[in-house]
Amino acid sequence: MNAVETKSEKSVLDSLPEKLGIADPWIEMGGVRWLNPGALSVRDLAKGMNAVGARFVTITAVQLPGEQGIRLEYHWDLDGQLLGFPYQLAGNTIESIYDLCEAVDWIEREIHEGFAVDFLGREYEPLLLRQGDKLGVNLREEKK
Amino acid sequence: MSYKIPMGPYHPALEEPYKLDLICEGETVTDAELHIGFNFRGIEHLAETRNYIQVIALMERVCGICSNIHTLTLCQAMEKLTGLTPPPRAQYIRVVIAELERLHSHVLWAGIAAKLMGFKTMFMTCFELREKVMDILQAISGNRVNYSMNRIGGVNRDVEDPATILAMIEALEREMVRTVIPIFTTSTTATSRCAGIGILTHEKAISCGVVGPTARASGLPQDLRRAAPYAAYSEMEFDVPVQQDGDVRARLLVRALEIMESCKILRQALTKLPLGELSTGDAKIVFTTGTATSRVEAPRGEVMYSVSWKEGSRNPSRVHVRTPTFANMPAIRWMVKGARLADTPLIQASIDPCYSCTDR
Repeated sequence: MNAVETKSEKSVLDSLPEKLGIADPWIEMGGVRWLNPGALSVRDLAKGMNAVGARFVTITAVQLPGEQGIRLEYHWDLDGQLLGFPYQLAGNTIESIYDLCEAVDWIEREIHEGFAVDFLGREYEPLLLRQGDKLGVNLREEKK
Repeated sequence: MSYKIPMGPYHPALEEPYKLDLICEGETVTDAELHIGFNFRGIEHLAETRNYIQVIALMERVCGICSNIHTLTLCQAMEKLTGLTPPPRAQYIRVVIAELERLHSHVLWAGIAAKLMGFKTMFMTCFELREKVMDILQAISGNRVNYSMNRIGGVNRDVEDPATILAMIEALEREMVRTVIPIFTTSTTATSRCAGIGILTHEKAISCGVVGPTARASGLPQDLRRAAPYAAYSEMEFDVPVQQDGDVRARLLVRALEIMESCKILRQALTKLPLGELSTGDAKIVFTTGTATSRVEAPRGEVMYSVSWKEGSRNPSRVHVRTPTFANMPAIRWMVKGARLADTPLIQASIDPCYSCTDR
């Protein structure tokens, strides 16, 4: 894990943490530049990424061991560089960014169905991948 | 009066199952609802039960057209977790197979598009051309669909006869220039069915986050081979065809021009193919704990794999796949709005959809 070196002339990418109000630097790991969003809400992140012309790629949902819950990794592309912003969910809910970023629609629906994550402020019907009414049955380990 | 016409999940115009509910006023489509999930196989979950050898074979079966791209992306992600770098010859062979796959995928799509236009002769011409590419892929890998070319740290098989591939490229280019491109761009049949049909505006393409030829046909010059080169693409010279109109014709033109660019890349890769090993060897593979991500430019656009591993484990703890059709398909709703009902099969086909990939 290496902190990304700062160039003398600040690019959009270099100045992005400051624009988003994040003090931490980019961390390059496994082909992604990660930025810990800290207290930045996912909606403010989406507004910031829209403002710099980043392209939404996907959200990766990861079920953490034990009772640690779910982590959502928001991925955006900026000039060919893949950016990652991890959000640890509290109570399996997070605000939807669908109204800010149309491209997020299907992946929010898929994660809702596969991991029972509730994206607040949006509707889901019809179901994307399956029929039935039980959430979290595709990818999330069932809790007894 | 408004009425709903269901197209699919089983329909002559759909090669794979999905459902498009078309809301119509007379013969004009005013809106559409898309339904997927008919082919959901839970592959991401299955991947967590497979070891690092088995998971490659599993992910090769995500898609029946771009099977190689899935193993390439997966192996690249796993190489980041193992610290292995494929030797130069393997990197070049990865480019060769990826471009051969793009050729057969694009020519297949052109054939299907011709069929949907009612242009059966062109369909037969395209499929005859595609067979030449399939023969080459079979000669290299021994298989026509799942080539099993990629492994962690390299490739499984060599390209032993570059001259045969170069001869095929010559023949394909000749036929593209002599027949396919002129007919698709000048014939009344093709023009009347494609020009001004199924438009995805530049703004809507950005908003929907579309990728690949669908994005490039709406004026977005994005291509990971250029923006974030992988394998040996940084050593290749090629153009990224972009069209501005955003209609079916633009998507057709982008793919036709990409066939020519693929031929150009193949010629370079085969001519400069370096000598050396095919892989890093058979030593025990050791994974470090963490998450690695890889992206490649598949025939339909960007594929992304996010792979998580725990040190000492034989299986991945998470594999997430974002396929290009998953990004492109929601845009169909905007393409068919205002279209004639009879044009919708061709419009939905114009993104070259793959529902196996989408559903996983």
